[in-house]
Amino acid sequence: MIAVAAGTNRIDPYLIPALDGVAYGLLVFVAASGLVFCFGVANILNLAHGLLYAIGGYTAAALLDGGWASLALALAVGVLAAAAAGVLLAGLLTPVATGNHLSQALLTFGVALAGGSLLVAGFGPDDPQVQVPAALEGSVLVAGHRYAAYRLVFIGVAAVLAAALYLVVRRTRAGMLVRAAVDDPEMVACLGVSPARIRAGVLAAAGALAGAAGVLGAPILGPGTDTADTVLLLSLVVVVLGGLGSMAGTLLAALAIGEIQTLGVALLPSAAPFLLFAAMAAVLAVRARGLAGRWRTA
Amino acid sequence: MPLTTPWRSRALTAALLAAVLTTSTACGDDAPGTSAGGSIKIGLLASLSGTYQAVGTEIRDGFQLYLDTHDGKLGGRKVDLIVADEGNGAQTAVPAATKLLKQDRVSALTGIVGGGSVAGVTPLLNETKVPLVGSNGRPELKDVSRVWHTSYLSDEPGAAIAQHVRDNVKGSVYAIGPDYQGGWDELRGFTDAFGKIGGKLANADGKTTFTPFPATTNFLPYFARIKASGAAAVYTFYAGSAAVDFVKQYAQSEIKDVPLYAAGFLTEGGVLNAQGDAARDIYSVLNYSPDLDNAENRAFVAAWKAKHDGSPTTYALASYDAAAVLDRAIGAAGSDPTPEAINTAIGQLGQIVSPRGTWQFSTATHSPVQKWYLRQVRQDGRALSNTVVGDLATVGR
Repeated sequence: MIAVAAGTNRIDPYLIPALDGVAYGLLVFVAASGLVFCFGVANILNLAHGLLYAIGGYTAAALLDGGWASLALALAVGVLAAAAAGVLLAGLLTPVATGNHLSQALLTFGVALAGGSLLVAGFGPDDPQVQVPAALEGSVLVAGHRYAAYRLVFIGVAAVLAAALYLVVRRTRAGMLVRAAVDDPEMVACLGVSPARIRAGVLAAAGALAGAAGVLGAPILGPGTDTADTVLLLSLVVVVLGGLGSMAGTLLAALAIGEIQTLGVALLPSAAPFLLFAAMAAVLAVRARGLAGRWRTA
Repeated sequence: MPLTTPWRSRALTAALLAAVLTTSTACGDDAPGTSAGGSIKIGLLASLSGTYQAVGTEIRDGFQLYLDTHDGKLGGRKVDLIVADEGNGAQTAVPAATKLLKQDRVSALTGIVGGGSVAGVTPLLNETKVPLVGSNGRPELKDVSRVWHTSYLSDEPGAAIAQHVRDNVKGSVYAIGPDYQGGWDELRGFTDAFGKIGGKLANADGKTTFTPFPATTNFLPYFARIKASGAAAVYTFYAGSAAVDFVKQYAQSEIKDVPLYAAGFLTEGGVLNAQGDAARDIYSVLNYSPDLDNAENRAFVAAWKAKHDGSPTTYALASYDAAAVLDRAIGAAGSDPTPEAINTAIGQLGQIVSPRGTWQFSTATHSPVQKWYLRQVRQDGRALSNTVVGDLATVGR
């Protein structure tokens, strides 16, 4: 009995960081899945992916006023705006040969820089504040610990989003095409599906996902001048850890990042600045193909 | 085609010559500092763009307010105020200061938000022999012969509040701050003074916890450790958006009932509006509060509110005081207030009457020996504001 109580006491302080790690991990998953799709399916290295998230974040900051209606409006506007930005990117990328990653990286990086400056010019250099619906502003008790209500609800919403994403990819025709394009792009082209259409569709979907993550995640990873870079960096780490072409790998990698950034920091605060990259190096050293899934370059 | 190249190079030469001529005439047109009409040139360098825009704007407006309420004169001379943009740091501040000092040939320099900018500009001051009456950033400097500050040293807020925390907190205190020079100085000021009077830190290894800056936006893992440490209170320093994140997350965390003490910047100016109710009851230490009860402050706050929304911050006050220092120093520098004469006069000013209370320059550090105040975030009419709840130590060395 005493041993069990002592064990609980030792785990107890880390319950909230572990729970927060799930919230953060799911946010990273929704934000990064777009980049993973782009890279894995359309073979486009989109370095402007963080910008798509930032568009959602700034939309949330501009539109949220503490009511539920404003949240729905911000979600709709943010998703549409980021998806439109994704289509625009697809248009810009048309002249660049598929698989030419250097040109793609240069072009999208330029777009990211220009877009970032436009956002700062439009919304100001200060990090804008995000007002969540009043009902979610407080905190709730979770197993005797206080935790922000918004983050708890976010875990539920993000889990639903992840499940919906899984069903779309597994069960719909669009999802089948996407999976087919991962496995054999030439065969998909032979079936009469234009690669340009797949590219535009994938970038729009990636934008919509990043936009949704940006709006819903704004109170957690808020809009600011560094947001686009942070999200891009986290998404690239997801790609390295989780590999391409498998949703399970992406989810696993995102959750690992979430836990490293919260539980890891709580356990080893002095190592906080390099914990994430130390973990990445360790995973690469042990398993060069990432945590799960197949690595496809084609 | 070959014809175009010589023409181009000739055009380029002409343009270059024109540029050289313009700058050389600009340099040669007047003697440093004062001109025959009894006016004097003052250079103000502050961040009017970039991350510190809010602070830079307050500094410019504080100085301008003093001029506006004193007939546009300092020491009886009409002031020609030349404002330049400091940008984000030394990289942009040094060229701007070079222009003010060498081309405009100002008699004195004021402002400067960043400590790094001050460090970058200092060699230029010694080269041109112009004094700086800085109103914010103050790095560690070996030679302060021409550098004066109306603000404070980074380790002073913590040193000023240590005794109060020792007397009022029954138990150990958790110290946490951002991992950069400013954070180290602010926290060291507290932990050194607190340790000397027998205070005990709750941190696991007895040392301050530093969070990666500016990467840390989620403070929950640190709050979990604070909870586990059993601390009776927390002392911290954050500014800007990190301060907003810290305070908002603190109010929703499991340590929300642990008293929070901070260097005043945690809840100063615009960040307090962004924090809203989450900031209620936080204690902070600062050298100024707009509700201080003295005649100078009442006049200063009234004049400020007539021109701006909201109350003046410590940044605006420090710049207002920089103008007051220059006013008296230029007046005392005699009929020919050269930069050297002004610098000497600043050193002989003695007590300076200010909205923050009376203060004077320390002879060793050239920064103020001043009283610090304990403030608490409380409801003031419709808005939250930092209300003075007591006097703390007088600090300066």
